[in-house]
Amino acid sequence: MRRPSRFAFLIIFLLLPSLAAAAGLRGLIRKIEQQYMGLSSKTVMTMQVRAEHWERSLTMESWSLGREHFLVRILAPAKEAGVATLKVERNVWNYLPKVDRVIKVPPSMMGGAWMGSHITNDDLVKANHIDEDYTFELLEETPEQYRIACLPKPDAAVIWGKVVYEIIRPQEVPGRVTYFDEKMVPVREIVFDEVTRVAGRVIPLRMTVQPLDKPNEQTVIHYDAIDFDISIKAAFFSLRNLKN
Amino acid sequence: MLFSLAYRNLWRNGRRSLLTLSAMIVSLALLILALSIFSGMLRDILASATEQYHGHLVISEGDYQENHDLYTTLAETDLPLIERLADSDQVTGLSPRLRGYGLISHTDNSYPAELLGVHPSQEAGVTSLQRQLVAGSALNDGDDRGAIIGETLARRLGVKPGAELVFVTQAADGSIGNDLLIVRGIFKTGDSAHDNGLLLVPLGWLQRTLALPGQVHEVALAIADPMSAPETAARLRPLLPEGVSIVDWGTLLPQMREAIASFDVSRMIFSVILYFATGLGVLNTLFMSVMERTREFGILMAIGLRPGRIRLLVLLESILLGLLGASLGVAGGLVLCALMRDNGLDLSAWITPISYAGGTLPPRLHTVLELRNLLDPTLMLLLTTLIAGVFPARRAARLQPVAAIRMD
Repeated sequence: MRRPSRFAFLIIFLLLPSLAAAAGLRGLIRKIEQQYMGLSSKTVMTMQVRAEHWERSLTMESWSLGREHFLVRILAPAKEAGVATLKVERNVWNYLPKVDRVIKVPPSMMGGAWMGSHITNDDLVKANHIDEDYTFELLEETPEQYRIACLPKPDAAVIWGKVVYEIIRPQEVPGRVTYFDEKMVPVREIVFDEVTRVAGRVIPLRMTVQPLDKPNEQTVIHYDAIDFDISIKAAFFSLRNLKN
Repeated sequence: MLFSLAYRNLWRNGRRSLLTLSAMIVSLALLILALSIFSGMLRDILASATEQYHGHLVISEGDYQENHDLYTTLAETDLPLIERLADSDQVTGLSPRLRGYGLISHTDNSYPAELLGVHPSQEAGVTSLQRQLVAGSALNDGDDRGAIIGETLARRLGVKPGAELVFVTQAADGSIGNDLLIVRGIFKTGDSAHDNGLLLVPLGWLQRTLALPGQVHEVALAIADPMSAPETAARLRPLLPEGVSIVDWGTLLPQMREAIASFDVSRMIFSVILYFATGLGVLNTLFMSVMERTREFGILMAIGLRPGRIRLLVLLESILLGLLGASLGVAGGLVLCALMRDNGLDLSAWITPISYAGGTLPPRLHTVLELRNLLDPTLMLLLTTLIAGVFPARRAARLQPVAAIRMD
């Protein structure tokens, strides 16, 4: 029997820190992607959307459990109050109170705007899985921040060609996330600010989604209230609850 | 004198002349029939391509036809002017339309779809969708939320007439536009792009749902002669308000324009091949009759007929043959075309409709009589017989009287 060569041991020994580092990056990204969720959460947020032809503001409340259950409902304006979105695993349903119907968003419309914003249905479904679908590489490490590049795994069904996180180091909160398309052109940027301690966690209360090809448009989400680790069951995230 | 001589010469060997004549008549009549069937196919495919969706001419604001931008609507003040313009001579139909894209849903099934908001009766004057129903009925003008839907889309959604649909989209004010529709009818055009993603809905309903009250994206026109669309567009263009554009079906359906150009080329090739054969037949007849009459031409020359007159004589014979053949051939062609007009030959038992270049070719052969289908082959036949007459005429004119008389 051949003994494993010393050389192989050496390789493994040298690789260990970077393997550990990659695992660390994955954990960091995962933590950041779930910063607004915890084990479970309830929030009240305001979404302001500015587009070329209009500008509007929505107040919404949302509930989440783990990373697979999410329910959000519009509270104001009155015209759209009650419009709700339910996400369970990788499915998305919308409820339309005006016609009292639930619509399942088909795969072909996943790239479509969610509630008229610059967030897509796909963001709701897949963004939380970024730690599973991507591999990570540390681009830069300073006392103030990390810069981490995420590249999709070869078989992952994702829409981005690359995602770059700038993470503020002391609080481990995101500062800026840049999304690149498959041609490696930056197409979208999300900037986080108003970092505050809320309900025992340090989180940025405001996120600004900026489509880079449309400088005059943006979506700003502000968390007005947020509560973590509430008692909520998976049964809450049902089509029946979507309607009321 | 020369004319009556030529006429009599033709009938000296009546059987041969009649055989040649019949070849000319049959080839001309068949060619007229074939070209008229070509025209019929052309008209069918053009009608299906334009009358299934676009119309012959489309008036819209700026570059709307290039990007279908929701906000590029026609100014309301322009509409009366457009309608007045279109009131002119050969416009046969006019339909203001609003277009919206969104999600159409029934129970658990949702698909992206294009909605065309129209006044049903006006739209019927431009497109034939409401006459291509395979189930249900057309829309009434008073219908508030009726829809007719493409057959493939209806099948995927699992809907029949009477079923309810939900439409969701982002309205012009950014809000979530959504409302119910009731399926009234299901259309089938044979063109997959429309069968699996198009709905016709009331204009007022779509204006409400898209939050675009009183707005339209385009005005589609139907004209009496679709082939003259580019000229009509050019005539209307300077009369339109600033910033408003008009395009003809050739711009909207470039493949169809190419298909029609290729039809013209194949017409030409077809005619040339047929007449090459006919021309050889006429050439043969005239040569034979000139050879047979070598002695006779010699005598004519000997008694003083000049070579030029001899040449004219033989040419006259071929022209007479040509004129006779042409007139009888045209008559025959007209009879054949008349027999195959309207419904013509139904081939649906053997072949299914063929989709090509954005149009659908129904399985039938019928004729459309156009002047050029008579004129072109007739002129070509006359030209062919004239050319076929030149060689024998030249040969006859070059005969030496003494040698010719001695020939047997």
